[in-house]
Amino acid sequence: MTDASEPPHEGDPAPVAPRPNDVILARGHLHPAILLLRLVDVLRQVAVWVLIGVFAARWALVAAGVLFLLNLGYAVARYLTLEYTLTPEELRIREGLLERQERRIPLDRIQDLGFESTILRRVLGLVVVQVETASGRGVEARLDALSRADAEHLRAVLLAARRGGTTSAAAAPADAVTNAAATPPEPEPEWVVHRSTAGELLLRGITDLRLSAFVLVGFAALEFGDRLGMVAQLQGVARSFRDWVDRLPTSTAIVLFAGLLFAVMAFGVVTATIGNLVQFHGFTLTLRGDVLQRRYGLLTTRAKTLPRARIQRVAVEQPWLRRLLGVAVVKADSAGGSRSEGEDAAGGFDVVVPLCRLPVADALLPALLPGIENERFGWLRGSPRLVVRTTLQGALFAAITLAATWHAAGALALLALLFVPVWALLGVLVWRNLGFAHGGAFVALRHGVIGRYLAWVPTAKIQAVVVRQGPVAQLLGLADLTVYVAGGSPTRLPDLTVGDARRLAHALAQDAAAAAAKAW
Amino acid sequence: MEAAPIPRPNERLLARVVPYWLIADGLGAVVVTGLAWFVARPLLVDNWKAWSPTYDNVLLGCCLGLLALTILSPPLAWLRWRFAFLGDLLLMRYGILFVEERAVPVKRMQHVDLVRGPIERLFGLATLVVFTAGNEGSAFRVPGLSAARAQELRDRIVEARGDGRL
Repeated sequence: MTDASEPPHEGDPAPVAPRPNDVILARGHLHPAILLLRLVDVLRQVAVWVLIGVFAARWALVAAGVLFLLNLGYAVARYLTLEYTLTPEELRIREGLLERQERRIPLDRIQDLGFESTILRRVLGLVVVQVETASGRGVEARLDALSRADAEHLRAVLLAARRGGTTSAAAAPADAVTNAAATPPEPEPEWVVHRSTAGELLLRGITDLRLSAFVLVGFAALEFGDRLGMVAQLQGVARSFRDWVDRLPTSTAIVLFAGLLFAVMAFGVVTATIGNLVQFHGFTLTLRGDVLQRRYGLLTTRAKTLPRARIQRVAVEQPWLRRLLGVAVVKADSAGGSRSEGEDAAGGFDVVVPLCRLPVADALLPALLPGIENERFGWLRGSPRLVVRTTLQGALFAAITLAATWHAAGALALLALLFVPVWALLGVLVWRNLGFAHGGAFVALRHGVIGRYLAWVPTAKIQAVVVRQGPVAQLLGLADLTVYVAGGSPTRLPDLTVGDARRLAHALAQDAAAAAAKAW
Repeated sequence: MEAAPIPRPNERLLARVVPYWLIADGLGAVVVTGLAWFVARPLLVDNWKAWSPTYDNVLLGCCLGLLALTILSPPLAWLRWRFAFLGDLLLMRYGILFVEERAVPVKRMQHVDLVRGPIERLFGLATLVVFTAGNEGSAFRVPGLSAARAQELRDRIVEARGDGRL
């Protein structure tokens, strides 16, 4: 719905003279087809009342009518009043009939313009545009919905405007202006960094360890239902089933239960696999200029941009099953993509590559963290004294369990002593995987027990560093180092020696201060 | 990682932060123990048949332990607290059981607050709260400063940021 009279070229001579906010790069309304979707929504809300009206009380029909008109009127009013305007400095979204609201989002605060489309919207050719900023909330505003062409246009103009802003601030203004004027909004070629194959996604589904969680949840639900006693009628069925099983020979019963367990597991694997295939269908990671873009989804399609400069941390994650198979998931935290929101992680928004072989993941890193290919990482180990710490933990655990179960279990309680060697073994495993490295502009961390997790944080993104020592760590001369970045969760480097931790913390703080001084 | 010694923060908090902490944190503990001993205990004794002198002793121990902790922890915390404003970094080190050493680059600070609660004002104290970008752990507090010192620190931070923005 862009005004055809407004030329979308940010590089026209105009921006030099008038106040930049008077120049309108794009302006429009929502697509009218959204009213159809709203109508469906309203009908769904009213359906219950209509049912009540038809079968029970006539007055409910009146209520349904009033509700219908009110909701529809509200939807129409919202549609009519909502208008977005893009200027070289900000995105303005105005809406509301009685209560007018105008939201202004400065362009340099917009870090991500995401597109989402449910299957119904796709049929109508609509996309939901999500304006994401570096505030902790993630999505700052939603435009539900624009036509695909409008959305693409809005993003192209926005990206071009922001690029124009940064280049004109750079060293050679004259050059930049002529460049910007000469180039159309989408000048740079788009490189495909990674394209997921169906095989990769299939493997991702099969190795999805959530399936074990699924099984656990299933059992928990069963137990919960049992305790509530609300499955009274089911109990009869269960009892007759138990009687039936009791009559079977033991071997058959075991086979039966094994089969049942297998069926539940298989169901978990299949749902996880289908879920992954649907969610990440056709996953493509591309790089245009300095902006990464991910496109994926079968039913709900998503297009998410991720400016490289906003990446706060890149993680290559290998839970044990995936480590066995030599594959990894690549994730990127960006400012605003907070994990505490939960929704982001569930939507797979931090996933950069759903699954790939480990060497591929390593080869991808420079595309995400430019400059990392030139750094040499001298990996350092954590302190072996961490094994002492975990062993002490195991001993403490064993002592508590022993004391608690001695009266009841007698000599059997001595089994609790097994905690000690098991925890010691855990300590050894943790120590073997633990590593850290400070290479120039990046700090790297490696950890895991059976799986292996790697994380890289650009030192320029560090907001603060904290060295922390618990009571046992003080005795053993160990310390944890936590690196805070804007948005996202902090990165923790556990079990370094105090000296290493303090040296690294100081070096990182100095780097961060130097980088901040340059950026400001 | 360079060989030069890593600077440790060396500035202490004002000593009068100890009575302030005693009052501010102790008040809560006194209320909790008072409720537990004078309100919850009679109720339990009257209404719970299984109540025995053992429980009495455990409860008494807990209450006394809590009170002892609230009396002991402020002076210990004061002994451990150090901070410093070194060049580009604000350093702080504190904690009794869990010792933390924090370093915040001044240029990374988003804004600075000067907080003075009613009891703090009685003692002539101020708390400097520094915020960085980010969700978790983005606030850093330096308590127990004199109002003048806190203002001086704030001004130095603003100055070091170099653009006069707060």
